Amino acid sequence: MDELTAFGFYPAGSLLHRLDARFKLVFLVSISIAGLRAEWLALVTLTVFAGIVLLVSRRSLFSILIEIRYFIVFLLLICFVRSISTQGTCLIKTMFFSITQEGIRDGILISWRLLLVVLFGMAFIATTRPSDIRAGVAWFLKPLPFIPHKKVATMIGLVVRFVPVIFNQARETANAQKARGIENRKNPVYRLVRLGLPLVRRTFENADKLALAMEARCYSENRSDPDLSSGVHDWFAAVVVFFLCVFTIVL
Amino acid sequence: MNAIEVENLYHRFADGTVGIDGITLMIRKGDLVVLAGPNGSGKTTLLRHLNGLLLPDRGRVVVAGIPVSNNVAMARQKVGMVFQDADSQIVGETVHDDAAFGPENLCLGKVEINQRVQSALKKVGLLGLSNQRPHLLSGGEKRRLAIAGILTMEPEIVVFDEPFSSLDYPGVRQVLGEILALHHSGRTIILATHDLEKVIAHADRLIIMNRGKVVRDGLPADIVKDVEQFGVRAPCAIRTGGEFQSWMS
Repeated sequence: MDELTAFGFYPAGSLLHRLDARFKLVFLVSISIAGLRAEWLALVTLTVFAGIVLLVSRRSLFSILIEIRYFIVFLLLICFVRSISTQGTCLIKTMFFSITQEGIRDGILISWRLLLVVLFGMAFIATTRPSDIRAGVAWFLKPLPFIPHKKVATMIGLVVRFVPVIFNQARETANAQKARGIENRKNPVYRLVRLGLPLVRRTFENADKLALAMEARCYSENRSDPDLSSGVHDWFAAVVVFFLCVFTIVL
Repeated sequence: MNAIEVENLYHRFADGTVGIDGITLMIRKGDLVVLAGPNGSGKTTLLRHLNGLLLPDRGRVVVAGIPVSNNVAMARQKVGMVFQDADSQIVGETVHDDAAFGPENLCLGKVEINQRVQSALKKVGLLGLSNQRPHLLSGGEKRRLAIAGILTMEPEIVVFDEPFSSLDYPGVRQVLGEILALHHSGRTIILATHDLEKVIAHADRLIIMNRGKVVRDGLPADIVKDVEQFGVRAPCAIRTGGEFQSWMS
């Protein structure tokens, strides 16, 4: 049996799974935008909210953190770059750079905000079928002139479908390289190149196979879309998210 | 009556390799045809012409009286294809979603889609796993899901590309059982394999391919003795002077 990645739909009957995809799309965009202005207290609130959302969506926070460990390394890198590139009170000074108090503060804030956007995005993907996401995007784009809404929605749906394929491939390639002692090579650039090139090649090969299989089953942008319907629980969730966004911006 | 007619088919790949080299054959409606040959003999390339995934450089393929090149969508509906790698065929996030993928593409109504999905999953014995994630299924179950995904499109012809590869014994029996059930329901079955052992006892016709050509074509009992000269292992029973034995018995 294959292992699974955290990036994909997890079928369950949770409240989040039952919410209308259009509402969830609005929630994700609103929280992400509000989160860009969030300061410390608001970030703590959003983090608690993200924890609750992930719990309700029946995902383990620990397994998600393991899955996004490389992204966390990337965030630490952002923190570091920010801390040496921002003017302010010097905390550590070396021959090549100096780390400032303001830089560390800004770096943590930016990384925290990005982490929250990713966590909310993962909760959204875990609780929403790709076909519902596609239908939701098409619904929002339909009134806009000159935008081929079905084509755009299909492309977004395909991206959502392919992300787990890429992560599965990355894990398989990494495991195959570990089995041949890649961990003995300490140079991260060497390891990245050795992982990156075959990963890109195999991802394209797998994407090609998947595209063929979809084509064989008559895939096109014109297909039966799922019925999207909203209920009381969607509007109740909208009120909660509205107050959360206001709270985030005001704080 | 012929389900498929292949006339002087010729296909060359972009790198210049000849995949199919002038094949002509007719496949009768309701037959179970086994297409055998070593790796690279052109089996998969030929199968992909039957539903328009590949189009011929020369010649033509006719399904149900209509050339595939003229109506690819019709060909894909009439000719269901189960790929060698079941994982690559799974496109849905749950067993139910995956089975519903085909009928959704045919723009059918919700009720019709659900009926077809329920019926197909029941036929392959996966109804109880409707909400399971496909990646958690065993190899045999994935292959059966791939068959269910094809059944929901109600094809007249079902094409299998190496359906037994990487399956254990129970998995082979499950998949073979599904193939035979489809055959008994009146569908035309075309099955490509380099492992004759598992299916030859049920075949109406055996076609051997080598280097893009049909080198033998006839009743299995008549030509099975020739298969080893084309890189295909003869079934054990034949090697020991016996008769074909079914894996289902």
